[in-house]
Amino acid sequence: MSFFGFDPSANPSQRGHPSKAPGFGETPDHFAGLQARHDEDDDGIDFEDTYDGLGDTLDETDDVFNDDTFGATTTDRDFDFAGATAKVADVIEEEHAVYTRSNTRKQSAKQTPAPASAVPETSQLPALVPDMSLWGAPPPAPVPAPQHQHHDFMTQPAAMPSTGKRFMSLEEVEAQILAMNQKPSAPPPQQAPRQFQHHVPTSQPMGNQFHQQLPPPHTPSPGVPMNQFGHPTMDLRGFPPQQQLPPHLQHMMQQNQMPQHPQHPQQLHQDRGVAQQPAVQQRVNPREQEPVVPPQGRNQYGMTTHIPMPAQQLQSMSEADRARFLEEESKRLKRNHKIAQLARYNGLMTPQDKNFIQRIQLQQLVSINSAEDNVNEDFYYIVHSAIRARSNPQQPLSQLAQTYLFRHGGRGNRRQDNHLQRMEQQVARAVAAAKARPKASQLVLEGSLGKISFSNVKTPRPMLNIKKSEGGADQTKKVEHMSVGSQRALISQEAQKPSLADRKSLLRAIENVYDALLELEIHERDRSKLPTLPPGQPPQEAHAQWSMKRDQLAYKLYSETKIHLPIDFSSHYTHPFVAILSFSKMKRAIPRVFRHLDPEQRLTVLTMIVVHLDILDVVKHGIYRPDEMQLPSAHREEIDTFANHVLPPLLGYMYEASFPVVHGLLKLMLDRVDVQPVSMTKIGLSFLTMFLSRAELLKQSGQVSEHEAMEWQNVYDRLFATLNGHWNDCFPPNGKFVDDQYVWQFLASMAVGANMQQQQTLVAAVKDRVLENVQASKILPPEIGVQKRENVNLFMRAMGLDVDLLG
Amino acid sequence: MLFFSFFKTLVDHEVTIELKNDLCITGTLKSVDQFLNIKLDEIRVKDEARYPHLAAVKNVFIRGSVVRYVHLPANAVDTALLEDATRREAGNAAGGKGR
Repeated sequence: MSFFGFDPSANPSQRGHPSKAPGFGETPDHFAGLQARHDEDDDGIDFEDTYDGLGDTLDETDDVFNDDTFGATTTDRDFDFAGATAKVADVIEEEHAVYTRSNTRKQSAKQTPAPASAVPETSQLPALVPDMSLWGAPPPAPVPAPQHQHHDFMTQPAAMPSTGKRFMSLEEVEAQILAMNQKPSAPPPQQAPRQFQHHVPTSQPMGNQFHQQLPPPHTPSPGVPMNQFGHPTMDLRGFPPQQQLPPHLQHMMQQNQMPQHPQHPQQLHQDRGVAQQPAVQQRVNPREQEPVVPPQGRNQYGMTTHIPMPAQQLQSMSEADRARFLEEESKRLKRNHKIAQLARYNGLMTPQDKNFIQRIQLQQLVSINSAEDNVNEDFYYIVHSAIRARSNPQQPLSQLAQTYLFRHGGRGNRRQDNHLQRMEQQVARAVAAAKARPKASQLVLEGSLGKISFSNVKTPRPMLNIKKSEGGADQTKKVEHMSVGSQRALISQEAQKPSLADRKSLLRAIENVYDALLELEIHERDRSKLPTLPPGQPPQEAHAQWSMKRDQLAYKLYSETKIHLPIDFSSHYTHPFVAILSFSKMKRAIPRVFRHLDPEQRLTVLTMIVVHLDILDVVKHGIYRPDEMQLPSAHREEIDTFANHVLPPLLGYMYEASFPVVHGLLKLMLDRVDVQPVSMTKIGLSFLTMFLSRAELLKQSGQVSEHEAMEWQNVYDRLFATLNGHWNDCFPPNGKFVDDQYVWQFLASMAVGANMQQQQTLVAAVKDRVLENVQASKILPPEIGVQKRENVNLFMRAMGLDVDLLG
Repeated sequence: MLFFSFFKTLVDHEVTIELKNDLCITGTLKSVDQFLNIKLDEIRVKDEARYPHLAAVKNVFIRGSVVRYVHLPANAVDTALLEDATRREAGNAAGGKGR
């Protein structure tokens, strides 16, 4: 009984995907119980085979009535027509039935329209057949598990033609019984998969093609015997059309560039049955819709089948043709195998799952595609990657963007490229559509007590809904608005406005600086997006616009620092710039702001700081109180921040400054600032050192005119006179054990410019300190000691002396 | 999106995730999504003796909602940039309606 390796003992109903398995829209099987009973008889498991003989030991005296009690035969075989008729023959019948049905179906394709009377009967049939899923068109549900089906094609032998009379009666009687029971089981809605197709942009065209190609044009296969039984032809309606194909199959076909012509799998079946009959392989590209070639050659899985040819045709083929045919045949088999492999995981996800994921991906794409959104939403990542990319140029793109948008890779043929382009276009369109859709983030149902908030990719699910008070924003708006107003009005207002003096508005002002700064920096980053300009060419429109915007933003930044506001010495309010500079936040922003300022503005910043040096927080708080050995840590931190962030850019500017600038600044400082207390602080001394050393450098390089040198000498003398008698105050208390390098640097720069008499005064004043330090350098650990010594030496060398002379 | 943006930069860095059930997992951050679900590779559990069933686990997917803390590698965080990003985020949130 075994044909083509088919195992007749296996229960046919156990092959294929179990119709009751979860995850598939199965039809209610009203005959499940019936079938189960049927199985008992079909199965090879027999009581006699498994009986262990224990029953023989029982008392058998009253067994006479056993028949009355249990019945002589197995009970309830009402529906088991085939089994009852011939236990052995039933498998044949089964196959036979299947085979016949396949023929009828084929015929019906030709013979549309089908007789209406046949419809009710045939439409019941699929549920009855134990292995109907085998045909790739299970009655109402999407294809449950293609891999099973596939294997079944391979293993199922061709049906045996038989007399069929008995079969007829079985078929019809069963169908009638079923017809009564199965009426309510209408095919489940086919909407879900189709909706999905429409929703998914990438698969949409495929779906369309499917629709277009229904019903599939069938050519009659010569190898198939005709319907011998006069069985009523079946309507195709009994078998759901290919449009029900789950999308994953379509995806698969897309990937493989397979034309997808729906074709009933029997053809494959037949091919096997007719033992590899030769055929001309028809390769059709469905997208091109060539009308000449009948679209036949692939089954619904994209597996290629071929049109069976009569054996004589094979013989009539030339050698070359045959070789070619065989080659194509092997290719076809290989491809089929590959598809079978791919199809292994089909159906793991329901359309709903895929729909959900696709929606997430689409949302992701929406935000990837919009550059503006991107910078806003993903600022940290983008900038961080950019910074890292500087050290590591192979920064990979975002995975998703790569997958969907930038797959311009050279692999694949032209058709594939074309296909990819289409896909990209579709994605782009879908993204545009998604963006165009208004985004409601909340829904308030009438009469409900709360709000329903939707989640999207950016706001997964807002847990807190904090209502923003509009007050703060208004206030800043007012300030902005005013700054737009006339400068004159502003001067008096700003100067007298106490609002700028309170902490909150100062912090707000700093934030405004940062906002302007960020805006400008983002704009600077956009420079790379401009087309590169060949040297010597006039700037294009885009460049002009870009630099205009840049200048605008730079000016906005500059004005946000409030530095342009005139200084009003009569007012007892601190200048706004100095006020905001007292915050470490602002100090940290200075180097970044400085980069965007032009030289004139930089000079303004420097001048502003110099003029207010004595009221600068770092100077005010930098003076040691008489009983203090150490500044409070908060002040020390501020001073460090100032030294690390504000001083470097100023120094950078100073080292390129011209002599008149240096001279003017020092003069201004002496005029406006109480230098003596300033000299008691680290920052104050740093400024003085800065001016003195730059002036000395310029003088030595010979760029200074006689007259300028004279003027400088005047200013220097003034400074010396001011500080004379206070040299020791420059040192921090307990200078032996703390870092006093800056003092020595200052003294050195003073000494370089001093005349003989001034030098002597200087040495006499700090002699004790020098000795103290030299002594300390001997006690202290070597590295610190050497440092101390070097510091002192800095000063000594400036006067042509050396510490070593002191012994 | 700031946190999402931030965590994306930590991909391939070693982080320690503390879950709300006190489980503490160290591993290489492989990916993170907008729900702050986290995928870790080559994981180690802090108190291995207490969670023997995790001894053989090599990688995990952690639902974002069960995370209590993420210990960050300090050198992988750009604090100044994070401040700026926070400013932008705040600016977006405030100006979201108006813009």
